[in-house]
Amino acid sequence: MLSFLRLPLLALLAAPLLALAAPPEAATEHVKARLVASHSAVAPGQRFTVALEQDIKSHWHTYWLNPGDSGQATTIAWTGAEAGPIQWPTPSVQAIGPIVNYGYEGRPALLVELTVPADAKPGGRFQPTAEVRWLVCKDVCIPEQVTLGLDLPVAAEAKASADTAQIDEWRAAIPKPAPFAVQLKAAPQGFTLSGPTAGVSKAYFFADTWGAVAHSAPQALKAEAGGWALDLPAGDEPVAAGKPLSGVIVLMTSAGQQAWTVSAPMPEGAGKGPGAAGVEAPTAAPAAPPQSDLGLLPALALALVGGLILNLMPCVFPVLSIKALALVREGNHKAEGLAYTAGVLASFALLAAVLIVLRAGGQQVGWGFQFHSPVFVLVVAYLLFLVGLSLSGLFEIGGSIAGVGSSLAAKQGLAGSFFTGVLAAVVATPCTAPFMGAALAFALSQPAAVLLAVFLALGLGLALPFLVLAFWPAAQRWLPRPGAWMDKFKQFLAFPMYAAVVWLLWVLAQQTGPDGVALALFGLVLIAFGLWWRNASGASAVGTVAAVASVVLALGVSVLIKPVAADLRAGSANEAAEAYSAERVAELRAQNKPVFVNLTASWCISCLVNERVALSRPEVKDAFAKAGIVYLKGDWTREDPAITAVLKAHGRSGVPLYLYYAPGAAEAQVLPQILTPGLVIEAVSSPATPRSST
Amino acid sequence: MKMNLLRRSLIAAAVAMPALALANANVDAAAPAFSATTADGKTVNLADYKGKTVVLEWTNHDCPYVKKHYGSGNMQTQQKAAAAQGVVWLQVISSAPGQQGFVDGAAAQKLNTDRGAVPAATLLDPKGELGKLYGAQTTPHLYVVKADGTLAYKGGIDSIASADKNDIAKAEPYVTQALAAIAAGRKVEKASTRPYGCSVKYAS
Repeated sequence: MLSFLRLPLLALLAAPLLALAAPPEAATEHVKARLVASHSAVAPGQRFTVALEQDIKSHWHTYWLNPGDSGQATTIAWTGAEAGPIQWPTPSVQAIGPIVNYGYEGRPALLVELTVPADAKPGGRFQPTAEVRWLVCKDVCIPEQVTLGLDLPVAAEAKASADTAQIDEWRAAIPKPAPFAVQLKAAPQGFTLSGPTAGVSKAYFFADTWGAVAHSAPQALKAEAGGWALDLPAGDEPVAAGKPLSGVIVLMTSAGQQAWTVSAPMPEGAGKGPGAAGVEAPTAAPAAPPQSDLGLLPALALALVGGLILNLMPCVFPVLSIKALALVREGNHKAEGLAYTAGVLASFALLAAVLIVLRAGGQQVGWGFQFHSPVFVLVVAYLLFLVGLSLSGLFEIGGSIAGVGSSLAAKQGLAGSFFTGVLAAVVATPCTAPFMGAALAFALSQPAAVLLAVFLALGLGLALPFLVLAFWPAAQRWLPRPGAWMDKFKQFLAFPMYAAVVWLLWVLAQQTGPDGVALALFGLVLIAFGLWWRNASGASAVGTVAAVASVVLALGVSVLIKPVAADLRAGSANEAAEAYSAERVAELRAQNKPVFVNLTASWCISCLVNERVALSRPEVKDAFAKAGIVYLKGDWTREDPAITAVLKAHGRSGVPLYLYYAPGAAEAQVLPQILTPGLVIEAVSSPATPRSST
Repeated sequence: MKMNLLRRSLIAAAVAMPALALANANVDAAAPAFSATTADGKTVNLADYKGKTVVLEWTNHDCPYVKKHYGSGNMQTQQKAAAAQGVVWLQVISSAPGQQGFVDGAAAQKLNTDRGAVPAATLLDPKGELGKLYGAQTTPHLYVVKADGTLAYKGGIDSIASADKNDIAKAEPYVTQALAAIAAGRKVEKASTRPYGCSVKYAS
């Protein structure tokens, strides 16, 4: 051998090269291993790829970079060449009883970039040696070790080998850096990893270090229109705040499975998971401040924008217009703008406080919870009726109701503005859910201070247009010129109010039955009568007292209102719907029947819209019938802890929630909050994705 | 008597509970109470050892990682040193019948005699209840319970995850360090480490 002649020199430089080149292939009892090079001749200083292929006996497995609960990653120690880190193909989950491992079955190939020494001489040979160790396990584990080597000619010009295509194929199995950003948010169980990929039906995150994630814990997927979110419980060695959590995310979509390497900084306050109480404390690294608010800032921004949009809602716009029209008439409104803003913010703060208190008391609360109370529904109905009457010209809002007991006109105006703000906030709440779902769900899972901040941002958004008008006279020029049309317009706006009252009474009918509706209508008559009396008596003190008394009496009526027993009205839109219960779902799934669950409430506008435009469409009904889908409907019009729990389990704080259980699927597919017939049909006709093989 | 009954039912509940998932023993929290049968047919309770430091060592004599530490004499040395300090060293065998490492009481005792191992007792856990109660994942997997009943350490026997005896001398001996810290009244510095070895052979 030529290399033998150079022995004295080589012995000084690199002892391992002393040996003859090790064979490229070797077999142990359970694994046949071989090295495959991308080049058949290499040039000095060249970087090229070498694959270590493991042909593993069936039912046995070797391990990934992070082997999981037990096991050990394959290692390769190179001599005679500079080697990069192992590039690992996407692992699979090996579950053995309660123990979860990450590794490979079959024929995985680990890739390594080798660099030929720059001083290698063309005409010589490049003979790196790899000491390869692995643990191979079935029900028992065997550590094995082989020594493999390459023996390649060094040439001035490198030459690709016949195995290049094979190596490219192996390379395709190695996850690439994700072309999208992922976020980590603190969550009670640990943290939540989320990304923007749409239509994800299954996902699994392989943390690349031991203990960052509890390997054996289930990873709950929430798939929404805007992406996916995966709940990850922290493991025994959680990543410190500010340090990155990295690994491989595997996403299953209708286009197939994709795997990406991802990394995101660990937020402050991530749960420690079940197994790591008190482990981290002394060495926690100081977190970089800009990263700690990652979850909060987008939620605040979203809330602000959501609040702005609320101004355009049919229930809010008329209320707003009362004040906006006032601006057209008079001069300086800064104080009024501030009073209005204060009214909105106070209402939202109160709402947040109620939520915080309820939550502290262990109540299952979700957004829209106020509408669970028939009394609240009735009070809002009265309120909207009063606003409607005011718009119709029966009385002046602010002057008579809000300003009772106050004699100063200016003060009346301010109090009026404040209560207009309150009113806007109250009537805005039923419209919030569809737009604010994400931000509110985030807020409800957060500490009290964050929850309050999100609600105040929402309120600020709602108050902003009026505030701008009040403080920026230039903007007032955009308002139309005052004139006789204003009164007509105002009177016209009364009708959306009356329509809203009709809607609320319909909600009330669901909750309390015909008796409740009769009482409510009687209350409306009382209010109208009281106001008429007041006007007829020339707004005298007696008349005013009568008006107030009638309103109080009407409110007293609400005490008589009792929720009817929980019999579910499946609604005319879907005669075929069965009542939802967790037991029924379990029973149907056990029978391998596909199940579609619609969790709804009659006060939820987007729920009703979805039923009209999607779920009750003939083509959707046909698709359901064809696939033999059992359609279950859960009604959250009244609070139902069982449904609240289901909502929570899917990361929602309110309805709607649409779930599709394909036959044999391990988990439900969560449909978006805004449905189209196509979307529903596609969801229910796609075949169930099989569980990843273990 | 009343107290005893209450405690007993609590223990029973604690042992019966983790039928499905791995529970988890948390460092600095009370170590889960248990009652178990030893290789010589006695019943022991964790509570019996109150006032003493207790080491729990999950083992499976056929696992290469266990062989690393018994074949080199490392485990026996640690057991002897612990006994000399008044520490109670308990082996636990959670292999299910038919699985690697499953032995009856007599075989377990013979193994220890042959290897020169000196645990205070060997606990037989063929149903895996004790293993799942503590969340034992590997053999070896070690837990140290302080005299006051709180868990002071859980994890690997040392810092180098391999089946190679030559690594023992180079590794940081976590359990020895933990016992030294407890004896000196110091806080255990590395109280939760990565356990390494074969998976515990639970009935799956």
